[in-house]
Amino acid sequence: MRRLRHLLKEYGSQGIVPFLIAFGFFLQGCGLVFDAVELVHPLARDELSAICSKGQVRVGISVEPFRPFVFPAVFTDEGVRVTGLDVELIREVGDALTAYCGGQKPIVPTLHLTRYRDLFIEINEGHLDLFVASVGGNVPGAGSAGLWYSIPYFHNGGIGAMIQRPEVAERVRTEFQHQAGNSDTLAAIQAGLSGLTVAALKGRASHLYAEANLKNTRLLVCDSLPSAVETKDPIIDVILSQYSVLEYVTKRVWPDWHLLTRNDGTPLILTQEYFSIVTMDERRRLQWFLNNLLYRLEESGRLEQMRRRWLEEDYAPTRRATTEGLPFEVSKVPEHYDQGQCRFATGR
Amino acid sequence: MKSRTVLFITLSLVFFLTYPNNGWAQAPREEIEKTAQHLASLLNVGRLIVERNQTRINDPRTGDKGFTPEVFEQEVIDEFMRQTTIDLKQLSSHLPSLAKELLPVLLQSSKEVVADAQLVINQRGIGYKNFVPATFGSQAARKFSNRSYVKIKQTALNPRNLKNTPDEYEENVLKRLATQPAVDTSITEWIDNGTTLRAVTPLYYLQDCLACHGKPRGILDISGYPREGAQEGDLAGAISIQIPVNKQ
Repeated sequence: MRRLRHLLKEYGSQGIVPFLIAFGFFLQGCGLVFDAVELVHPLARDELSAICSKGQVRVGISVEPFRPFVFPAVFTDEGVRVTGLDVELIREVGDALTAYCGGQKPIVPTLHLTRYRDLFIEINEGHLDLFVASVGGNVPGAGSAGLWYSIPYFHNGGIGAMIQRPEVAERVRTEFQHQAGNSDTLAAIQAGLSGLTVAALKGRASHLYAEANLKNTRLLVCDSLPSAVETKDPIIDVILSQYSVLEYVTKRVWPDWHLLTRNDGTPLILTQEYFSIVTMDERRRLQWFLNNLLYRLEESGRLEQMRRRWLEEDYAPTRRATTEGLPFEVSKVPEHYDQGQCRFATGR
Repeated sequence: MKSRTVLFITLSLVFFLTYPNNGWAQAPREEIEKTAQHLASLLNVGRLIVERNQTRINDPRTGDKGFTPEVFEQEVIDEFMRQTTIDLKQLSSHLPSLAKELLPVLLQSSKEVVADAQLVINQRGIGYKNFVPATFGSQAARKFSNRSYVKIKQTALNPRNLKNTPDEYEENVLKRLATQPAVDTSITEWIDNGTTLRAVTPLYYLQDCLACHGKPRGILDISGYPREGAQEGDLAGAISIQIPVNKQ
């Protein structure tokens, strides 16, 4: 064995594979060949070791802006950057991986900005280690085979609704009044929105919710939130999306749209969701690493601080992008990113 | 005869060492100074073209804005020609050789910045994208400086980007400029025993700049930075250039 080690050192890594194959013929069992190869270059490395040795973690994020989780990319003095709650979480993952890998060299999150639907393809094809895209971990039908969803990094997810015309709000509120104290959000929403044109985001929780629960509406499926807002024909009565996103955009981006609220003015939220980090199903070590990290961030109050920072504080996203944003790979982003369009759902 | 030759060489050496500003040494210095001036003009023209296209860049209704690197390049070439009579497509033989070497590098760096920003520029549904003269200028200057021994930097007395903080030399010049009426020439000086040129070209606020940098002072602008409370014609900052005599 000492002689073998000596030989391996002498040959170095160049040309070692042909050497080992030739050497293998002289050995009695395959196990010995495996051991010999492992001496030079461990074959069965787990995903965390692979991340450590590469010095980078490949993270997918969605190009569709889900403010304040991911803001549209902006130009800064440092180049093009993205920012938001999801991006800050990715930085935490990168920092934790740096510590895990010994802290000698930083583990850089390499962001792959791509369309939401392509995240699932990219991770399945092994181009991503994980993705963070405000994905609900408990939405029926949202999960994809072979994927794993972490413990929550955001608990207060849920579908909200925004409207432009006050008469839509009146219809829903009237239904709540008819219930005479027996609060049934789904029933009020079903009756209130009956016959109206409702927009939901393709493949997201709002789409799945509307498909399953809002049979008596004209459902319009949109590629992104801006495309829903921009659509003039047909006139959209209600847009369904994540409540936190709608709360942000009605305050700061599209002030002529308003959140649909209950009769007492409290937020009308149609579901309860939590957001998860997504990895491939078989990546157990990475999954434990992420769950332990999220638990630690929750326990220390750091996650709460992040949530407050992005959802409650008054700030300018551009400035945050400049100071703390992350660069990204643009190879998968269409050259002229189009927010897409809306079309009526088929088969209803 | 031999001793005469030695005496001649010795006297010549003494002459050249004693008077470094003689005719032979002035030519490259002049060349360097002109080159610095042309580089500052070119970076400023790039900033101007970005500013002229600002409405187009910030238009949320269209995706492909058509503000491609090639379109940008052509507009820069035309404007630079108008301002300096120098044709960047066909650099004149009268131009200093250093300028002929460096102007295409800066043009290429500027073009690459516009290419890098295409994704941001062509987003539909997003208005303000922070692709403004200042961010363009910072990136173009950095790209150029990374591939050249000449350093270009945008600087200001109170820069929004801390990487643009002035060094001691720049701070002194900026403070002097801030108290003077606007000038349209660069302030050039040879430092370190005449081995390095420092050139500072002042930039003044135009009307269009005041939406972000004007009054009321302290109110956050669209990008989230407090407004400077500036008025048209106030000193905004400067383009600072350092060129060593020896290419290191």
